[in-house]
Amino acid sequence: MLWGIVIIFSLISVAVVYSATGTLAYKKMEGNTEYFLFKHSSLILLGLGCMWAAHKINYRYYSKLSLLALLVSAPLLIVTYFYGSNINEASRWITIPVINQTFQPSDLAKLALISYLASMLSKKQQMLHDIKRTLIPIFGWTVAICALIALTNTSTAVLLFITCLLLMFIGRVPVKYLAAVVVAGGIIGGTALTLGQRLDTAVSRMEDFMDPTKTAFQLEQSYIAIATGGVVGKGPGNSDQRDILPHPYSDFIYAIILEEYGLIGGVVVLFLYLALLYRGLVTVSKSNGAFGGLLSAGVSFSLVMQALINMGVAVGLGPITGLPLPLLSMGGTSLIFTGISLGIILSVSRADTEFTRAATETVPNKIQANKPVNA
Amino acid sequence: MNIKKSILLRVRIAFLAICLFACAIVYKVVRIQFMDGAKWKKISKERRIHYQPVFATRGNIYSDNESILATSLPFYRVAFDPTVADAEVFNAGIDSLSLLLSRYYKDRSEDYYRRKIKNARHAGRRYIRLNSHQIDYQAKKTMAKWPIFREGKNRGGVIFEKVEKRFKPFGILADRTIGFINEDKNGAGLEYSFNSDLAGTDGEALFERMAGGNKPIYDGTEVQPQHGYDITTTIDINLQDVAENALYKTLEKTDADHGCVILMEVKTGEIKAIVNLGKTTGGYIEDYNYAVGSQGRTEPGSTFKLASMMAMFEYTNNNLKLTDTVDTGNGVYRIKNTTMSDSKHGGNGKITVQEVFEKSSNIGVAKLMEKTFGNNPQAYVDYLHKFGLDNTLGFQMEGEARPFIKSPSDRTWYGTTLTSMGIGYELKISPLQTLAFYNAVANNGVKVQPIIVKEISKADNVIQAFQTRVLVDKICSDETLKKLKAMMEGVVARGTARNILGTDYKVAGKTGTAKKVKNGHYVRAYSASFAGYFPADNPKYSCIVIIDDPQGVNVYGGDVAAPVFKEVADKAYARDLAMHKPLQERMIPNKESLPDVKAGNFDDLTLICNKIGISNHPQGTDEEWVKVEAAKRSLNFKPNPVLGGQVPDVTGLTLRDALYILGNQHFEVNVEGTGKRVKKQSLEPGAAIDKVKQITIVLS
Repeated sequence: MLWGIVIIFSLISVAVVYSATGTLAYKKMEGNTEYFLFKHSSLILLGLGCMWAAHKINYRYYSKLSLLALLVSAPLLIVTYFYGSNINEASRWITIPVINQTFQPSDLAKLALISYLASMLSKKQQMLHDIKRTLIPIFGWTVAICALIALTNTSTAVLLFITCLLLMFIGRVPVKYLAAVVVAGGIIGGTALTLGQRLDTAVSRMEDFMDPTKTAFQLEQSYIAIATGGVVGKGPGNSDQRDILPHPYSDFIYAIILEEYGLIGGVVVLFLYLALLYRGLVTVSKSNGAFGGLLSAGVSFSLVMQALINMGVAVGLGPITGLPLPLLSMGGTSLIFTGISLGIILSVSRADTEFTRAATETVPNKIQANKPVNA
Repeated sequence: MNIKKSILLRVRIAFLAICLFACAIVYKVVRIQFMDGAKWKKISKERRIHYQPVFATRGNIYSDNESILATSLPFYRVAFDPTVADAEVFNAGIDSLSLLLSRYYKDRSEDYYRRKIKNARHAGRRYIRLNSHQIDYQAKKTMAKWPIFREGKNRGGVIFEKVEKRFKPFGILADRTIGFINEDKNGAGLEYSFNSDLAGTDGEALFERMAGGNKPIYDGTEVQPQHGYDITTTIDINLQDVAENALYKTLEKTDADHGCVILMEVKTGEIKAIVNLGKTTGGYIEDYNYAVGSQGRTEPGSTFKLASMMAMFEYTNNNLKLTDTVDTGNGVYRIKNTTMSDSKHGGNGKITVQEVFEKSSNIGVAKLMEKTFGNNPQAYVDYLHKFGLDNTLGFQMEGEARPFIKSPSDRTWYGTTLTSMGIGYELKISPLQTLAFYNAVANNGVKVQPIIVKEISKADNVIQAFQTRVLVDKICSDETLKKLKAMMEGVVARGTARNILGTDYKVAGKTGTAKKVKNGHYVRAYSASFAGYFPADNPKYSCIVIIDDPQGVNVYGGDVAAPVFKEVADKAYARDLAMHKPLQERMIPNKESLPDVKAGNFDDLTLICNKIGISNHPQGTDEEWVKVEAAKRSLNFKPNPVLGGQVPDVTGLTLRDALYILGNQHFEVNVEGTGKRVKKQSLEPGAAIDKVKQITIVLS
């Protein structure tokens, strides 16, 4: 089922991105519209490849990898802040020297942090109140990574922070501690924002959102796209607003989907994300160890929440962010990390299915294994 | 409740929350489509947002010492929306406005303008162009104070449409060579030939239609215009001026149809002056590039004898000596069924080869030609080919004329063709091509390509440099060169151009007086010319002068064209003496002539520079404040951003600007010293701002 959803997403993505990059192609590639089509299609295939590879790896390895990945990504984020390539006044990318591909370390950090939390929460279920051994490392890493990301990218940092809180909530961290971490995160994150590059942008976008009298230019154009799209849309490739909307192939791709495929297309896409989330969460109920379930839930929520926030922005439910729509937007490394995330979900469900099959033959053992947990 | 159940419950709560948010999205979409739909569709219909080109600034054309020959300046087209002004303002101002318009444009009556505006107002027309004439910035400022106009655009209805216009500071000087390009991309001269370099690439950005005009939306999708490159020519403004004056005087005196002068540096082929003047009812103007283009390509007449003599000296086993004699008889010679005559009545009798050239005897040359090439005319044509006379020079300007040289295999090759060609008829060649040939003789047989553009550059970075190109390594033997030089010096010393013999330096050259063809027949109208080089001992310049169809008694090349040559040569020679300064001194760029600007407001500086015609280049992103660097011939603006939390760099700014910036940052400013600009500041630029915001600035 997951493969089916992903392939449908990929097909929609190719169609919409091809339509939306028309203007970009005329500006940057002298009208070679196929350039972006081929580039995007090959990246999607690469993403699918990563997904396949990630699902072949036993998910238990991700537990071990997570701390290592965290230790790598923290310095990477700092390097990016100081030396990253500057796109749209924020240095979020570093270029990998040999293959000359830009890479967003926050993508890696996000995945690493979620895996780490899932791993820690599953191991420490018995001592969730132990501040020193459980809560400090969990909260410390969460706040530190989010603050580092906040230096260059406010919305990604906020989204990751919320995802982590949700994961902690699911992992049964008591609400009073969560409240404490929200306060700590707010203070440290705010400081990072002040020190970072994006404070002005964040403030002005919040102001734009809060001011009921005026609509931001992008949003106005997005509304026009949505309104003129109607119920059934203008048809594939018939968008008018793609010439005017900034980043129609990433930040505002949902507006283009609504314009070309109408309300129906928009609802279908929304439904597909919910189906994806549902599929990710089913694993939780089936899984036998807490780690698999938490990992799958964390990754699924991270993807789908980003998707919903992107769509929410396009329809004016939130302040303007720079978040792409996972699985649909054009993008380089984000497509690859999305593929890996989906592979992890598959890996968890595959391993657990096998485990269940194996377990049915050794039922007593399984109950034994679960006993301490129930105590 | 066990752990798994608890986790599952929490997952379900979270899933539910997500589903609720999804519902909110669907609700919002439905609301946008159905409740606010009409509003957004209406906005979409108005198409308030549209792409508009952002025009690139066209590059400048410079002379050899960086004087601007052509640059782009803002001009304005005056249009009017007569329906804007209310009745009171309109009725009170219309009479005086019409009068002022009529007085300013001087082309129509006061009544005409009044009628035009009133009719348009009555008909409800929202846009009329008052006059197609474009006005400059000064005139715009004056006009903006006129009645009705002074109410501004939104209440008065005046519309000043900015257009970039080419401005040539030296007016008519080298006008046709600098050239032009019109909106259909047709044109002439350097503007046309180098258009792809000069034009740059227009950018594009989104604009929103507003009441006061179009407002750009900077959303990151705009394409920045690439400003055009500058080109540096080889033209020397002083020599150009001298050549133009000399030619103009003579054309006027002789009432000639048109004329041209080209002055070229012998070693490099650099064209120092190129003048083209044609007769119009209002005097002579640069109406066509006779020096280069096909209208200037004519039968050269006697100046071509140099090529014939060169071919005959070179011809194997011919062994023609300057002292060999030819009997030119009584000045009339029948060849086949035509007659050829010499200009001297009664003929020159028996004269030497040198005298044939110096006296420009047609019969002498024709007889020598018959003797040398009579049996083998192809050999003569082959020599012309070797001299590069049958082909274009590959000149940098578009529209170079192609020489017309017959071949014995052509159907139009008659029995008399060989002798005709020998004296410069039955073939066509442009003045520039003739000059390049003479230049080769002056340059010891090395034929170089004439060049007029030395460099294509962007600010101070040279994009492309053009070097002197050798077309023919050695056009003839040194022995031939010696003979030719002796003959050309003789033309001035004793021959047809002895009227320009001077004492300071020697001139070598050849006169020409070609009969013109009208409706297929030779008529009693001439094209007088003189081509040569100077100083003859150590040639520095070569030059050609053409005077087409001079009227009066004196129509010979020696009489009308050679004096122009002499005048140009005298000035160039005198100037050259002054030019022999140490190289070091000449190399110093012309920085002093640029105004002393160190830093300032970007918009202000751009406006000022554009107004007084100083080339300026913004570098980097648009910043309100910039640092100025004087380049060789332009000012470069480098961004000097004022950032919150950091001490701004105010050095180089005027006191007023510095106080403005520092005041905005809430500094307490102490000013020391007197002078125009800030020299020093007590806090390091870029340093974090302290709590105590005190800064001392020193003027100088």
